[in-house]
Amino acid sequence: MTPIRPNRLALSVAALMLAAPTAVLSQDLITRDRVGPEDAPNVMTFRLTAYDLYSTDPATRETFEALFTTFILANPGWRLETQLATDNIGQEQARMLEQVGAGRGPDCAMIDSSALGLFKSAGVLQPMNAYFTQDQIDDMFPFVRDAVSDADGNVLAWWWFTSLQVLYRDTALVPDAPQTWAEVQDAALVTVAAGREGILFNGGRWEGTTFDWLPNFWAQGGEIVDAEGRPVFNQGDNREKLLAAINYYKGLVDSGAAPARVTTIVNYDEFSAAAAAGTAGMFIGGNWQYGQLRSTLAPEDFANWELSELPGPTPDQRATGTGGWTIGAFSDDPEKVRLCAQIVWDIYAIDGNAFQGLLPTSAAIYDQFDAYDGPEYDAFAAALVNGVSRPDAAIYPEISNQFQIMLGQVLSGAATPEAALDAAAAAVDAAFARL
Amino acid sequence: MTGRAGDIATYIAAIALTALFVMPLAWLVSLALRTPQEVYLGAARFIPQQPTLENFRLILSDRAFGLYLFNSVKLCALGALGAVVIATPAAYAVSRFRFRGSNTLMIGILAVQMISPLVVIIPLYRYMDRLGLLENHGSVIALYMAIGVPLSLWLIKTGFDTIPLALEEAAAIDGCGRFEILLRITLPLAAPALASAFILNMIMGWSQFLIPFILLTRDGQLPISVAIFNFAGSTSASTTQVLAAACLVAVVPALLSFLALQRLIVRAIMAGAVKG
Amino acid sequence: MQQNRLVWLWFTPVLLLLGAVYIVPVLDVARLSFSDATLLRPVTAYGLQSYRDMLGGDSLGTILNTTAVFTLLNVLGLQLVGMGIALLLIRGENRRLRGMSVLRIIVLAAWVIPGVANGLIWQMLFSEAPFGAINSTLRLIGLPGVAWLSDPTNAMMSAVIANIWQGSAFSMIVFYAARRAIDPVLYEAASVDGATPAAQFVFITLPQMRGALLVNTVLVTIQTLNTFDTILALTGGGPGRATEVLSLNIFNTVFYGFDLGGGSALAMLLLAISMALTLIYLSILMRRGART
Repeated sequence: MTPIRPNRLALSVAALMLAAPTAVLSQDLITRDRVGPEDAPNVMTFRLTAYDLYSTDPATRETFEALFTTFILANPGWRLETQLATDNIGQEQARMLEQVGAGRGPDCAMIDSSALGLFKSAGVLQPMNAYFTQDQIDDMFPFVRDAVSDADGNVLAWWWFTSLQVLYRDTALVPDAPQTWAEVQDAALVTVAAGREGILFNGGRWEGTTFDWLPNFWAQGGEIVDAEGRPVFNQGDNREKLLAAINYYKGLVDSGAAPARVTTIVNYDEFSAAAAAGTAGMFIGGNWQYGQLRSTLAPEDFANWELSELPGPTPDQRATGTGGWTIGAFSDDPEKVRLCAQIVWDIYAIDGNAFQGLLPTSAAIYDQFDAYDGPEYDAFAAALVNGVSRPDAAIYPEISNQFQIMLGQVLSGAATPEAALDAAAAAVDAAFARL
Repeated sequence: MTGRAGDIATYIAAIALTALFVMPLAWLVSLALRTPQEVYLGAARFIPQQPTLENFRLILSDRAFGLYLFNSVKLCALGALGAVVIATPAAYAVSRFRFRGSNTLMIGILAVQMISPLVVIIPLYRYMDRLGLLENHGSVIALYMAIGVPLSLWLIKTGFDTIPLALEEAAAIDGCGRFEILLRITLPLAAPALASAFILNMIMGWSQFLIPFILLTRDGQLPISVAIFNFAGSTSASTTQVLAAACLVAVVPALLSFLALQRLIVRAIMAGAVKG
Repeated sequence: MQQNRLVWLWFTPVLLLLGAVYIVPVLDVARLSFSDATLLRPVTAYGLQSYRDMLGGDSLGTILNTTAVFTLLNVLGLQLVGMGIALLLIRGENRRLRGMSVLRIIVLAAWVIPGVANGLIWQMLFSEAPFGAINSTLRLIGLPGVAWLSDPTNAMMSAVIANIWQGSAFSMIVFYAARRAIDPVLYEAASVDGATPAAQFVFITLPQMRGALLVNTVLVTIQTLNTFDTILALTGGGPGRATEVLSLNIFNTVFYGFDLGGGSALAMLLLAISMALTLIYLSILMRRGART
């Protein structure tokens, strides 16, 4: 259990305020491609997304500037060279792989949790065990610890925030949380009868579709790949379970519980738009959307929306997919790995998450902050017990691609579930043989 | 249809086409004027209930944004200029000289554009790495030139083809060498074709993503096509309204610089004719 | 007149540039297509395996079909729209009509807008939600909504529409320049002879623009074959594989399958298709006997 420390964020801001004349200094300390004094002799390259330190939201940006300033002042003689990571996950990870392979990768980088398996299997991540205590490592949620460690127990990256999918419903039409697939369909049909679109979910061709749908397979105990990373989803029991999950979605569309347009949805924002426009009855969305709904909907409308755990085929079979971002170190300089670990813990894992309302990956952090007092966080924490992360096999992105095709074909009526599944499995096997 | 009736018909067609082309842009403007609360309404509302210019203010006050635009203009203009300058002699040769293999050569050069950029960038990265030419604008410009040459070659050749040989033959009789003929007579007459090739190159360079993406990592060197992702927000916290404003703001200097440069090019080439 | 050797001098700048900067990577793509390279490890074996796997793939037939339809519709559509706008602009200039440059700027702006914006805009327009932009307008005038993106056939049409909107500016510029280069004397003489504008178009404009038409067709075909980001942003290739064209398939192969050898083999296939089409266009033109 980590001991409760005084809020580091408050300390940082206080320190900055005391050094008021040097507030100007903090302006010079942080630019678009640098954190720290320009003449510092030691340089570490850090690749990050534009969501925090370089956010367009002033409050977010200032908070992270304060955190980074404290960090860099605690490491005199160092400066960070910051590089932008774009949102194109596929191209971004290919570029980083190529650059790391050529010895030109960043020293420390943000890696999306879905891409972590790729870098693990490429063998380019440096262990960070030396810079975290055993308590910190033990405190991580089990699915997090499994995903970031290799067989020898090396912590190859730190997964600093997670996300999950939940079922949202308008309680004005659906007062009780559906517990099974059948109840979801019935409830959605009730909303359709009341003039809504029914239940909405990601069905278009992007990662979100596979990611939001896989919990239906995982809830039954299905396995996509085996321990060696070989695809096994079309073998034995797994095939039955996969077909069951496909037929669940197919039933939703065929019965009219879900509109045909789900095959066009490639963005979570669509659900918020539908909720705000009053056309959605239920939807399967991300935990972060609760806050978005709060700020977009009128208070009396928002009061009607509640979230619950994703249902499975029976009330006891539950799962949800866990996403989020990690930070990993590629450099073989121990000092840089230490700095990387420090960035993780002192900036992102605790204070950064608390400010942004993101879900930490260690149980104790939830108790530290008021930000996590809302009832929705209890629901998230309960659902995370059944959290499953995407397999860290190099074949996963191709599996996801094939599943997207499969679901699109089935939901648009272009193929039967069996035929689509067989085609997907054949394509995955062919790709796996080439890897 | 001639005269008045023709004019009215022309205006009607033009207005209809303008309306069709403007409609998607109008939605982009709608997004750019929204507050973070209203942006989640998506297509549900066209005119925001609480329009704001805050997103534009954010973009315009971001010093880095101006730098990204400048980078784009620099890379695209130099790349386009280089492509046109290098392609012109070759285009002249194909247009004026009959020699064996001219068609094969033209098609061979065109094959450069037929290779899928998605696949070429990986070997390109490794090659540039070995030459030590990563992280610099020069190699990006050289690549823009290389990609622009086939397109420019064909377009400029077509432009040269429309200029009567008689004019050149007259000058030849007067004792002008081939190269002088090209410079003093053919080029000025083909100025519009050259200017079009320039503009097309420039615009194609403007939207180039993969090449600067793989060759440049320092934020200060990025053109707007890559750096625009600074404003995109994340899956869980999209800043679509800022991105929309950024896209709109990025268009204005692009259009201005294209049109200004095009006029400059034409004038420069014409000036060459006068001096002769 | 010139000896053959001197002719090649005119090509030196081009050959030097391409040789220094581009030839090596292109040859490398060819080499990779005969290997089993992936993004995760270097080559372990050379041979025809990549070609066999890619060309024998179950989905290749569908993808080639989709590519053919998409390319044909775009090459026709882009050029028709581009030509139409160019001619309108020319007429406006000839008749000194004011305000025509607005059209030119708007069409140009559509091309210059960063690619990320396209996905944003067109998803809102084609949205099939009850509040989707185009569908709402249709319902307002009494027509039923259309399944723009969820119906496989419609999805193709929507992708074509979005691509034409974005890319017409290219053809517009090419045809505008070509039309301007036509000697006005030809038109004056024809008017004196009493030719109608339609006849002038068919007998003067089109033949004079033959060269530009060929060039533009070739260039637009190559561009369309290599286009994938419009489709990626709009449908991702879906629903299913309904809008997955070859270039998008290459994208998925390289960036999600990490298969460099397979991607290279497909790229060589794409090159062969582009080359074949170019040669077909050229031969059609040669047969007409016009000097190009």
